[in-house]
Amino acid sequence: MDILITGLITGSMLALLAIGFSLIFGVARIINIAHTAFYMVAAYGIFYFSIRLGLNPILSMLISVAFVTLIGVLVYKFIIDPIREHEGAVLIATMTLAMFLQEVILQLFTGDFRSIDFMIGGYFTVAGYKIFYQQLLTFGVVLIMLLAIWFLLMKTRLGLAIRSMAEDREVANLMGMNESRLAMITLAISVALAGFTGAVIGPLMVLNPHMWMEPLIIMMAVVVLGGLGSIKGSFIAAFILGFTEALVVFLVPTGAFLKGPVALIIMILVLLMRPEGLFGVAFEEER
Amino acid sequence: MLLEIDHLMVRYEKAVLINDISLGVDNGELVSLVGPNGAGKSTTLRAITGLVAWEKELKRRSTEGDIFLEGMVTFNGERIDQVPAHEIVRRGLVLCPERRRPFRELTVLENLWAGAYLGKSKTKSEENLNKVYDLFPVLKDRSKQISGTLSGGEQQMLAIGRALMSEPKLLCIDEPSTGLSPLMRQEVFDKIMQLKGMGITILLVEQEVSTVFKMTNRNYVLSSGKIIAQGSGEELLENEIIRKTYLGL
Repeated sequence: MDILITGLITGSMLALLAIGFSLIFGVARIINIAHTAFYMVAAYGIFYFSIRLGLNPILSMLISVAFVTLIGVLVYKFIIDPIREHEGAVLIATMTLAMFLQEVILQLFTGDFRSIDFMIGGYFTVAGYKIFYQQLLTFGVVLIMLLAIWFLLMKTRLGLAIRSMAEDREVANLMGMNESRLAMITLAISVALAGFTGAVIGPLMVLNPHMWMEPLIIMMAVVVLGGLGSIKGSFIAAFILGFTEALVVFLVPTGAFLKGPVALIIMILVLLMRPEGLFGVAFEEER
Repeated sequence: MLLEIDHLMVRYEKAVLINDISLGVDNGELVSLVGPNGAGKSTTLRAITGLVAWEKELKRRSTEGDIFLEGMVTFNGERIDQVPAHEIVRRGLVLCPERRRPFRELTVLENLWAGAYLGKSKTKSEENLNKVYDLFPVLKDRSKQISGTLSGGEQQMLAIGRALMSEPKLLCIDEPSTGLSPLMRQEVFDKIMQLKGMGITILLVEQEVSTVFKMTNRNYVLSSGKIIAQGSGEELLENEIIRKTYLGL
């Protein structure tokens, strides 16, 4: 039961992170190493607004997500956009940004572990296992978010443009889709998703200024397993890795230390055996 | 003239792809651009639809080679050589690209809606969709199919249909017959004639000269980035040097 619950929550959280990461890679070919740093900043944001300032948790969550989205857009405009076509430079810039955010958090909140109160207390038992209402709430909210992002991508004009752009930038341009504007909007959505994940999962986590690294590695493994650029792939791979992680933690002695290595092993195996991942998108060569 | 190209030059680093060409297309005409491989036909279409400038803008930020683009392109009385690609579409100059390039992961219907991205209203776009379905009934039958799984001919129909969704004033079609069976080629050419009959102005790039010359009002022969001859199909075929050297007939 623990495995099921942890697997579902971790899986859905990874799905949200990986989908955001995949989206901006697909549309603008940006590999955003700072993706999970935005998730961390949002988690600290909700801690700051709800614990330090005593604001309503939901309001704190909204402010945190808005705040990281704003940082994301500014970073895109002034740092990423001018160097966007240098893939290596983007990697270095976003990695630096992640470390910068980590140091800022260290300065502001010290390296102490922090925690956020549950939004709703209490639990119920199923077949002798405790399920906290907070876990249920988190899972529910993340599922709603996943549905919302699915709706946005599959049923709206903006979603169609994002998917078209992700597949073939040049032809999307020929359809009248404004590439730089779409890249900006997608980045905002992507960072908002990361922020949202951080804010929602925050109460179930211990916050510390290095909390962006582990999900980054696992999220990368998810994206590689699912196929870089494939939203469907990210979604399915997130649950595969979420459950794998839960199985390792609960069934293997000292398994908690092995989460990262297991994800990396899966990533390496996928790269060796099926580099395009489960649902890899074959990108049209641009000339 | 609906489209006027005046002294267009395109250079990728040291390679001159288009060397000072000037040409025009009038309302209602079907004009072809023919010539051997590497003559600069596709580059001409890419230059007038803003793709070369877009590529140049991307390259500006990277370390890869320089692109040099010069000359004047006027469409419907307005200069468009400085206008970004996605804005040129809005003015009614639409390219149906080489190798068809449907969005392979999207369904046929989604591809067509992508073509209507700039559509003025849903009703108007639905009207256009019905026109496209009338012209290419196969697209209606396969509307839910993922377009990567269509045959080459069907993909070409989709690419043309997608371009038509934005109600082009001038439709540029780049090598529609490449890789198709003779039967399919004929069908694609028939459809192009049908479009012409509907009053759509077309600039066609093709290798299949013998068929194209029977369809067009005028033709330009391009070689090594220069226009070396122009005229009606009959006139060009009378010139033996052109026929043998450049058209391979």
